[in-house]
Amino acid sequence: MASSAKLERLLNLTAALLETPRPLTADEIADRIFGYPEDKVAFRRAFERDKDALREMGIPIVMTELTGADPPQTGYRIPKDQYYIRDPGLEPDELAALHLAASAIRLEGVEGTAGLWKLGGVVPQTTSSAPATVAAIPVDDRLVELFGAVGDRRQVTFTYRDEQRAVDPYRLDFHRGRWYVTGYDHGRADERVFRLDRIGGEVEAGTARSFEPPSVAVPGARAEPWQLGEGEPVRARVLVEADQAAIAIGIVGPEAVAEQRSDGSIVVELPVSNPDGFRAFVVGFLDHAEVLGPAELRGDLVDWLRAIADNGPPS
Amino acid sequence: MTRITAADRLRRLLSLLPWAAANNGPTVGEVCARFGLEPDELLSDVALVTMVGVPPYSPGDLFDVVVEEGRLWVHLSPSFDRSLRLTPEEALALVAAGASLLAVPGADTTGPLARGLDKLAATLGIDPEDAFDIDLGRAAPGVLAAVQQATEEHRRLQLSYYTHSRDQHTDREVDPYRVHAEQGRWYLVGFDHLRGEVRLFRVDRVLAAVVLEDSFEPPKDLPEPELFEAGADDSRVVLDLAPEAGWVVESYAVDEVATTDEGRVRVTLPVSGRSWLERLLLQLGPRAQLVEVRGDPNLARCGPDAARRVLSRYEPA
Repeated sequence: MASSAKLERLLNLTAALLETPRPLTADEIADRIFGYPEDKVAFRRAFERDKDALREMGIPIVMTELTGADPPQTGYRIPKDQYYIRDPGLEPDELAALHLAASAIRLEGVEGTAGLWKLGGVVPQTTSSAPATVAAIPVDDRLVELFGAVGDRRQVTFTYRDEQRAVDPYRLDFHRGRWYVTGYDHGRADERVFRLDRIGGEVEAGTARSFEPPSVAVPGARAEPWQLGEGEPVRARVLVEADQAAIAIGIVGPEAVAEQRSDGSIVVELPVSNPDGFRAFVVGFLDHAEVLGPAELRGDLVDWLRAIADNGPPS
Repeated sequence: MTRITAADRLRRLLSLLPWAAANNGPTVGEVCARFGLEPDELLSDVALVTMVGVPPYSPGDLFDVVVEEGRLWVHLSPSFDRSLRLTPEEALALVAAGASLLAVPGADTTGPLARGLDKLAATLGIDPEDAFDIDLGRAAPGVLAAVQQATEEHRRLQLSYYTHSRDQHTDREVDPYRVHAEQGRWYLVGFDHLRGEVRLFRVDRVLAAVVLEDSFEPPKDLPEPELFEAGADDSRVVLDLAPEAGWVVESYAVDEVATTDEGRVRVTLPVSGRSWLERLLLQLGPRAQLVEVRGDPNLARCGPDAARRVLSRYEPA
């Protein structure tokens, strides 16, 4: 069976590169490892494919230029410190919960099972029922690269709106169906939020630990439309009729509900630093919601509505 | 059984062997269940492993594996007794899946998933609180919980559902088949007893949900209904937009975009309902000018009328 022969060769290659005290040259590998073709060109092709296969499963193969050899040669080895997992020490119930999550959430184009194997395998489920909630999340290479860069604190460079950006990536958000990265944009000397689907081409990551994360967490793309402004936020109070209370809670979250009235209506309290975003939220309820205060936000909305009302023929 | 490549087998072996070595001769059945393979596959992979040896090691030095009375005894050289690190893809898949479920309104944020995610994220240098956030979609926790429970238990739901485009709500009974999140929103697929057909509902438009006692048998093949989309017979409006209102072009399926002589953007939009247009015009205010209505002539006054209706809350007549 071809697959078994190749598996044996890959195992031998991994063992040889992991155990060797010094980098091995391609000639030494061809010599020592059983299963490679005799022909030089065919060996080279097979060896390149094997290296790719190992790298893809997370086995780091490091290449070094060997000094003293003439002509210069490349040496290969697997550094032990980069090979092993940092064992998170998951309890069986924690591993089972992660497994359940991985089967309920599908990351398009990414396979999660191999990761679970490395953590100790997939714990058989006691119940046979599949989880009811299913979600698909879009993933692409840029996201994978940025995810690694956030964790390793690597500066990244990419093209955005036809401009080259150098960014220290602080956080990733999936929000309203899109991925965002928030970080320090060196060209603009300020924090910026970027939409991943607007990044042109590849994301290149630099060296690890090239920046310190901010001491206070950045809000990232989580910020609501009424929060996207400068200055001290104003606490606005909005009354929402009983019928629409669930919709309002869905948007602002249960923690924003300041008052629950006996008729089922609710009052939500929002920190507003962007009056435009706030107005859009309130008029989304048409005449089922009302700004109670403060007076300036209430007055601002009244003026806005009056301008629209005066702009049309009288009814 | 799908065809498994040599690389997949290697990946599995390099995880399975350290686990077996650390777990005192687990049974073949247990190993197979954990790592998703058949006993004969396990035995052939094991036979192969014992042949591996690179100078100066002879076969058996690196991997010493014996199957005895249905149990797998493994002794590994120190090089192989720990599992491989996670690739960025594998780490992302697990962290994203865990963070997604934890962000679902009403999720248990102190349970095993939260603990497992914290431990895993810590080894990756990712802070799941401050550096990674997944919001699958907005929904009131009570509503989403009721919809999920009914779907899992195959119980009928009593729904009060808001039709956003007409600003109306209707009560109906629904047999819930599936709840899923997509593009940042939660959806429910179910049989709508009011209409007598399978429909797709937005969970963030459910005003109230009650799980009833009645149960039902879900169909084997789930239908894939589509949400209402404006078609060719619906009314259209033509709007001139100020630069600050340019987002409209990206947010809606516009039929046409042009630039006027004054440099404003002129868009032609399908209207999915009167209330939909009211909201849009109230939000845009002076940043949009209604130029033309094609179809229902009553839409021409819909912005000012809606503004007056909302104003009546603030300025009682």
